[in-house]
Amino acid sequence: MKSIVLSSVVVALLVFSGCSTNKPAVDTKKTTETPAPQEVEAVEIETVSPEDSMVDSSSNASDTVGQMSMSDIESKLSSVYFAFDKYNLNADMQEKVAKAAELGKSGASQYNVKLEGNCDEWGSDEYNFALGLKRADTVKKALVAEGIDASRISMVSYGESNPVCTAQTKECYAKNRRVDFKLLP
Amino acid sequence: MKILFSLLFVFTLAFAGDATIEVIKKVDALPSIAIEDASSNYDDTFKLQFFKSLVADLNVISLFNVDRYHRTIAFDASSVLVENKDKNYVLRYKMFKDDNGALNVEMKIIQDDTNVFSKSYKVGRQDVYMFISHAIAYDINEFMGEPSVAWMKRKVIFSRIVGPKKSEIIISDYSLAYQHVMLKGGFNVFPKWANYEQNAFYYTALDATKPTLKKVDMKTLKVSTIISSDGMMICSDVSRDGKTLLLTMAKKGQPDIYTYNVDTHQYRRETTYGGIDVNAQFMGKDKIIFISSRLGYPNVFSKNLKTKEIEQMVYYGRSNSACSSNGEYIVYKARETSNAFERNTFNLHLISMKTDFIRRLTATGVNEFPRFSQDGDAILFIKNYKNQSSIGIIRLKHNKNYLFPLKYGKVQSMDW
Repeated sequence: MKSIVLSSVVVALLVFSGCSTNKPAVDTKKTTETPAPQEVEAVEIETVSPEDSMVDSSSNASDTVGQMSMSDIESKLSSVYFAFDKYNLNADMQEKVAKAAELGKSGASQYNVKLEGNCDEWGSDEYNFALGLKRADTVKKALVAEGIDASRISMVSYGESNPVCTAQTKECYAKNRRVDFKLLP
Repeated sequence: MKILFSLLFVFTLAFAGDATIEVIKKVDALPSIAIEDASSNYDDTFKLQFFKSLVADLNVISLFNVDRYHRTIAFDASSVLVENKDKNYVLRYKMFKDDNGALNVEMKIIQDDTNVFSKSYKVGRQDVYMFISHAIAYDINEFMGEPSVAWMKRKVIFSRIVGPKKSEIIISDYSLAYQHVMLKGGFNVFPKWANYEQNAFYYTALDATKPTLKKVDMKTLKVSTIISSDGMMICSDVSRDGKTLLLTMAKKGQPDIYTYNVDTHQYRRETTYGGIDVNAQFMGKDKIIFISSRLGYPNVFSKNLKTKEIEQMVYYGRSNSACSSNGEYIVYKARETSNAFERNTFNLHLISMKTDFIRRLTATGVNEFPRFSQDGDAILFIKNYKNQSSIGIIRLKHNKNYLFPLKYGKVQSMDW
């Protein structure tokens, strides 16, 4: 037994001694210094200032007489808020719409109203715009049910692109899921 | 055994080239390329700018390991720089001004000290140099015999929100290096190229009495009014021949999809569901895909415009609110988290209509507005992550994403 162990140890030693390697000599001579070339960032964007033709589409609609009273009434029309991904009215908001309808029949009876649907920031796609529109449409239907003539009401959806609050908090998101009332002469 | 082999062979054939199959690990053996600058006319800042643009473009074509050192040499030098001796390819170029002040670029590709390809480029103004850089990358890609990257030379149009109810419509190259404000002032969104040649575009004006679709002819700068609708008006897609538009309109407060004939000015309502139907895209000649809430949450459906048959296209995810299609593939946006009050993650997924395989294309942030390139080689999308808005490019075959950040504002929508 001992001899087997011994001979295997000897064989193993022989095998491993055959494996010794000669490290290749490394050239330690200093290479001549060349000016270091400049390395650039992987992707860099440079904005070019425009100078070509351009269309200016800002409207110059001037404010008409009676603008004061219009904005007075508008300030009394508070926005209607909605739950996340929803376009139905809860009881609180139903009340707000009823108040708006009341005003629409009295003080604001000579004006038309534009309902502006808005969403929180989760997505700039068409679906979000449609959600804003469905919100405006819900308010429109409620106003009509309260006795406002449908022909006085127009709608628009601004999707997420007209936020009143831009912080990333739940209060802020909730403030943006809304329908605003805008009076039109 | 023979049967097994032939089965394997058939399987390989069937799945060869399926873009939903992700290449997890590729042998890291891309050929190397170095760039040598032989320009004389221009100052160092501009030289470096052009060089950076070339490096970025060569990275995006995903065929090379690109050396990022800016080195200079004479254009006619017989041999490549000693540092570039070990590179598989060397791209050498020379920029020079001609008598009219136009930017000219001569370039050649050197392999084993032999010229294997050369070409010259010219552009009227120095500040649109990036289009030459894109063209060089495009030609190198062609020279290498790879599937076309024609999208690289196309223009991107996008709208940027600059304040509440204020936006701009901008024309840029795919990397946003060149940006020209085309429409300023007012509240204009959802720009869409009106034809393949990209010399006119549609957009939605939201500051009109009713949301109105308008068209700008970029040669004459004439703005014409196409059609308006109460509530909502978006041009979602334009047919390849530019004759038919897919619109989302809300004639009675009800967002639905309409087809619009550009020549006859006639429109036809294509969907009648009482909830939300939006974002229609052509899928072949007689079929469209669109987003509908008919299951109680947004998802991708298709409709055959002739047989009126409607079919659900995606069976994964609980909120898929945007889509784009090319051939048998659909890319869609899926909400991965559904938290009403905290940051949510939206990712893009690619699904094959033939195999039903799904591949996730993005990992973090809000990824939206996917748009296939005309040839289906790449997907352009908007990424909003940590208050930074970027345009991203996904190279499907190469499994690579590239992001080009916007300096200010937020990208609302885009087309290319």
